[in-house]
Amino acid sequence: MTDDLDICAQEPIRIPGSIQPHGCLVVLDPGSGRLLQASANAAAFLGVGEGGWTAGQLAELADLAGATAEEGFRPVRFAGRPFQLAVQTTAQGWILEFEQAEQPGEGPHPRLRRFLDQIDPMAEIGDILQATVREVRALTGFNRVLAYRFDGDGHGTVVAEDGDGQLPSYLELRFPASDIPAQARELYRVNRIRIIPDAGYEPVPIEPAASPIDGLPLDLGGCGLRSVSPVHLEYMRNMGTWSSMSVSLVVDGRLWGLISCHHGLARRIAAPVRAACDFLGRVVSHQIGARERHATAARRIALKRVESGLLVRLARVPNLREGLVANPEPWMELAGAAGAAILFDGEVGTVGLTPPADAIRRLAGWLRADRTAPLFRTDHLSAALPEAAEYADAGSGVVAVSISGLHDDALFWFRPEVVRTVRWAGDRRKAEPGEDGRIHPRHSFEQWKEQLRGRALPWSEAEAESAREFRNAIVDFVLRRAEERAALTEELQRTNRELESFSYSVSHDLRAPFRHIVGYAELLRQKEAGLDEKSLHYITNIVEAALSAGRLVDDLLRFSHLGRASLAMIRIDMNKLVAEVRRAVEHEHPGRAIDWRVGELPAAWGDPSLIRQALLNLIGNAAKYSRGRDPAIIEISGAVEADGTSYRIADNGVGFDMAYVGKLFGVFQRLHRVEEFEGTGIGLALTKRIVDRHGGRIDAQGTLGRGAAFRFTLPKRGKEERVVRS
Amino acid sequence: MSDLRPILLVEDNPRDLELTLAALAKCNLANEIVVVRDGAEALDYLHGRNEYASRDPGDPAVVLLDLKLPKVDGLEVLEQVKLDPDRRRIPVVMLTSSREERDLVRSYELGVNAFVVKPVNFNEFHEAIQDLGMFWAILNEPPPLPRRGS
Repeated sequence: MTDDLDICAQEPIRIPGSIQPHGCLVVLDPGSGRLLQASANAAAFLGVGEGGWTAGQLAELADLAGATAEEGFRPVRFAGRPFQLAVQTTAQGWILEFEQAEQPGEGPHPRLRRFLDQIDPMAEIGDILQATVREVRALTGFNRVLAYRFDGDGHGTVVAEDGDGQLPSYLELRFPASDIPAQARELYRVNRIRIIPDAGYEPVPIEPAASPIDGLPLDLGGCGLRSVSPVHLEYMRNMGTWSSMSVSLVVDGRLWGLISCHHGLARRIAAPVRAACDFLGRVVSHQIGARERHATAARRIALKRVESGLLVRLARVPNLREGLVANPEPWMELAGAAGAAILFDGEVGTVGLTPPADAIRRLAGWLRADRTAPLFRTDHLSAALPEAAEYADAGSGVVAVSISGLHDDALFWFRPEVVRTVRWAGDRRKAEPGEDGRIHPRHSFEQWKEQLRGRALPWSEAEAESAREFRNAIVDFVLRRAEERAALTEELQRTNRELESFSYSVSHDLRAPFRHIVGYAELLRQKEAGLDEKSLHYITNIVEAALSAGRLVDDLLRFSHLGRASLAMIRIDMNKLVAEVRRAVEHEHPGRAIDWRVGELPAAWGDPSLIRQALLNLIGNAAKYSRGRDPAIIEISGAVEADGTSYRIADNGVGFDMAYVGKLFGVFQRLHRVEEFEGTGIGLALTKRIVDRHGGRIDAQGTLGRGAAFRFTLPKRGKEERVVRS
Repeated sequence: MSDLRPILLVEDNPRDLELTLAALAKCNLANEIVVVRDGAEALDYLHGRNEYASRDPGDPAVVLLDLKLPKVDGLEVLEQVKLDPDRRRIPVVMLTSSREERDLVRSYELGVNAFVVKPVNFNEFHEAIQDLGMFWAILNEPPPLPRRGS
């Protein structure tokens, strides 16, 4: 956005060395009252005689300077004639500016009072400005009064206008930032009213040029009579305006806009009217500031309500990303966006209109690399990040906030490109150096239209603030989640330790009483030789009951150990293991005729003692539940599967109803009465747990009265696993 | 004369004690069975101090040591015996209700001579105790008597 006319930003506008001729300037030494400098027209303007300044006149000037402390012009008399005088006390001395006295008549104050009474305290800023330009024109009689508003780039847009048709309308036109260079803008901020009665004036030099106090040119930054830049005068003449006045609108210390007045002919505005316009400008500035603060506050309150609603919903979900994606409306509304995205734990979640996930990741990386501020916002992303032009339709505007100090994790709000046609006052690309090598402002103020591409609607302060505050809330959320997780882990570890010590004492203390019951019952049986059959039956049942309770304790302990024990994985020869388990089962069922049909079994990858336990349970069950079949048939087969090896144990026993298959693997789930088939009801639960620990799966098929088949699959050897046992 | 060395039984639970003694009685061992009720007493006996200051000198043929004991537990007794150069040759058999692997591992690390999980089944328990008594009291060749004191 640099402009050729920036060269005029280098002109010495505070020290032009001359003033406009509608007044005169005198500089006095405050200590001695000595005359330091004066404009060349001073003696004539003030009616000083041919012989020059008399001591009495200089004393009178010093008295006036000393007595005029307030800001702005006030009426005085000098050498018996009326003048308007403004005095500044500077490091270079008292600067006295004289203008002609006013004609007597009604001052502007009654008008002003009426105007102020009419300002609607709830009116829109545009309406206030429109009323203001109308009032200023009525006060001053200029052909045209404009209200400019500056945007973030310093370009001015005419937002209100009142005119009599003598000068062209500029309403809604944009004027580039270079029309009012930065240093002029700074002067406008400090020195709120300026007037040029005649753009064709001859500047009046200040003599001597250098201040006797410090040897530097006189600083006229605070002087209303200051001679303006020749570029500015040329600009005025090109616009067809021969006199002008501007009043600054300063809101919260920043130049918000200007009330700019123009006239086709030279025109002098009396000091009291100027003062009234200045006053008007200040009142309107206050009004604008109040409106803006009110609008921002109202927007913030609305956004805050959206934020609280969203946070309440987020508090109920375990995952931030999923929580946000599930609440697209409030999430986008937080910053008035058309799309939103989150990068969290390496995953991208989006709602609404956003760039693709890859682009969001790159954007996050770019933001993290380039910036330290927690918030980034732009309405023209492709100007900073060229690749963003590819997704201008979704993400020309972005607000991004980091939610992690360590990662790229961030929240994003996006706005799409809004192609705007801007009407510039003249083609701002066409200023060229003239023959004298100086820059001449353009001669044409014909409208020139420009399409702005890659731009989104700008983000307001309230929206940026909302994003920032939401970020803070989210960071708390993320941190709280992390803390909760840490606390939970600690709690789990503690519970686990408790459980371990519990099962440890169970293993010691719960087994002992059963051992004692069995022991004493046996001693009783051995001691009493002549017990009748009934007594012997009782003793047998006592022993059986205690033994079964003891087995229950052992099984439960084994089951609970299984969750904690680490697996010692090796390659297992399943043919050998099954043969060994088969012998153990046969030993348990002496005298049974079992038709074993054992096929060739592929080798397994697992913990051999646990796999042995699983096989013992399954093959033991097959033998148990086929009791009474003649012959009992137990088939054991294996297969190599795509993802591992599977083993099937089938019998022709009592089987089970598939309706209960879901209960089969639960702890203490039994499908038969104890007197039919003994057991603690833990065997299959234990088997399933063993298979689960190996990352495998198990299922069962059964038909009541026809038999059951169990198949379990063990995964192939994992690369990361290692052989623990030799 | 080795067969006359006593068997030291360390057991706090009176029922386990009675059942163990009943099982040992079946072996018809000539060995005296010395019963102590906690780990501290066991160490007193082994060191011939306090209550046992005036006992006949000599080490027991075997120590049957319960794992969970009041005051000084079985693992600590085992550790002290096995770290003591004068007593580390005394055979120690852990008798325990527990199948806890860490107890087993720790016991073997400390140099236990045998580790027996007391079975719930009395007949098995009986057999285990009898086997232990017979093996350590009769069959096992005990370490030579150290020259101590005399």
